[in-house]
Amino acid sequence: MSTRPGRRAVICGAALSDYPLLPDMSEHAVHAQAADRALADAGLGYEDVDGFATAGFFPMYSTGVAEYLGLRPTYLDETNTGGSSFEVLVEHAAYAVEAGAAEVVLVTYGSVQLSQMGRRLGTGGGGGGMVPGPAIYDALWGNTLVGNYAMAARRHMHEFGTTPEQLAAVAVTMRAHAGHNPHAQYRDPITVEDVVGGRLVADPLHKLDCCVISDGGGACIVTTAERAADLRRPPVWILGGAHSTTHHLNLSAMGDLTTTAAARCGPVAFERAGISPSEVDVAQLYDSFTITVVLTVEDLGFCAKGEGGAFVADGGLGLGGRLPTNTDGGGLSACHPGMRGMFLIVEAVRQLRGECGPTQVPDARVAVAHGTGGMLSTGATLLLGREAP
Amino acid sequence: MSGATSGRWFPDEMPVPAANAETAGWWDACASHRLVVERCTACGATRHPPGPVCPVCRSAAAEWAELPGTGTVYSFTVVRQAFLPSLAEVVPYVVAVVEPDGAGGARMVSNVVEVDPEEMEIGMPVQVVWEDMGPELALPRFRPSAATPDGGGT
Repeated sequence: MSTRPGRRAVICGAALSDYPLLPDMSEHAVHAQAADRALADAGLGYEDVDGFATAGFFPMYSTGVAEYLGLRPTYLDETNTGGSSFEVLVEHAAYAVEAGAAEVVLVTYGSVQLSQMGRRLGTGGGGGGMVPGPAIYDALWGNTLVGNYAMAARRHMHEFGTTPEQLAAVAVTMRAHAGHNPHAQYRDPITVEDVVGGRLVADPLHKLDCCVISDGGGACIVTTAERAADLRRPPVWILGGAHSTTHHLNLSAMGDLTTTAAARCGPVAFERAGISPSEVDVAQLYDSFTITVVLTVEDLGFCAKGEGGAFVADGGLGLGGRLPTNTDGGGLSACHPGMRGMFLIVEAVRQLRGECGPTQVPDARVAVAHGTGGMLSTGATLLLGREAP
Repeated sequence: MSGATSGRWFPDEMPVPAANAETAGWWDACASHRLVVERCTACGATRHPPGPVCPVCRSAAAEWAELPGTGTVYSFTVVRQAFLPSLAEVVPYVVAVVEPDGAGGARMVSNVVEVDPEEMEIGMPVQVVWEDMGPELALPRFRPSAATPDGGGT
């Protein structure tokens, strides 16, 4: 689809809700708080919004949030690819505004996963029950979400010699970044020894190899460069995006367990943006588990397959490192409400607008936000720029 | 034959499958302790879990190919944190991606039982064992091939 002159897609506003613990808020209230803040950031009002996108865990989710927010949009999207959903929704929104199908698309996320878990305590939960269709094929065996990522990690260690200490380095770096984020769920520094000496949840992943569980949300607004020209904030340009999938929920159908959907959508996104991985100044990479980041830096082309362990070790993802990553502390330390993709986008926007204070990457011009969803099932890459392409 | 050994390793209170038109044949084979994989009769490609069409050639023609019950561990994890109350007494247990012999590269997630979790390794040869979870439900799990029915392997 060709872009009409003046209609290049930009992000004109972005904000997070409060986080990481919101015992007094509903999920919809988190959406609303984030939307209020993103609109205020842009200098827009709800009356300006004609497109709405969000993702959640029941059918017709977007219509429920739209009703709550009093929106009657003429563009609606609730594509759900798990944790990568929000990169997909922003990519779609970019196509919509560039095609003239919408002027101002509000994209929101909200979750009170942590508080809901607390409210459910003591009610039993879990148990047996009938699980329909093919989705059962992995659940029958007492397999867990972390178990799937653990099996990918084990295979990566087997094939490439990746070590638990290299995986741990991801968690250590994220925690160092979280130390600069007053909102982060965990801020005290940790060491590689803290990670590998900690409790194993599912071998080879330890407790600190796993993301935190949080409440929180965020929102961003996609419009045209033309519309953004007289708004409050400098626009962040959507340079390109792409997404892909390898399997649904059964890890046995994934393939080799060490190559993710990022290997397919990453190169397409870079090609659409007309840039190469070496031009990326700052990265926001989905860090559900430490192995997720190792696989992603390989599959996006920041290093060769199998070299991700060495790439992330020794502060490679830190400020001043090869690829400063998750400057807010990531899902491993700052906040992970279940589908973290919106947090990646908001932090990328802040980096490109130079608002990150002690974790600001100097002169950040190009950022990548890459979400991963499901059981390593989906990937979505979004390339954002400070300057017009 | 693959169905020689059976036992109990997991509690009754586990998720149970609801078979549908695509998967019923696989569960029926399991109920009679036969390990099978779905094979496209048009192009020969195998697939697991079972599905309505071949993901390679999209043919709906398929058969249940019986497997010898041996295989190799492709990857594994040791689950140490129970996610169901009933699993608290079972942890730690091994979940593995197994590559069954004769399955044309199709892999299955299952458990490796009768093994010290610390002895697990990728490439370990395994042999199917059956766990009868109820009158119509048997699950194929695996144990190290070296293990013998009278207690070797742990």
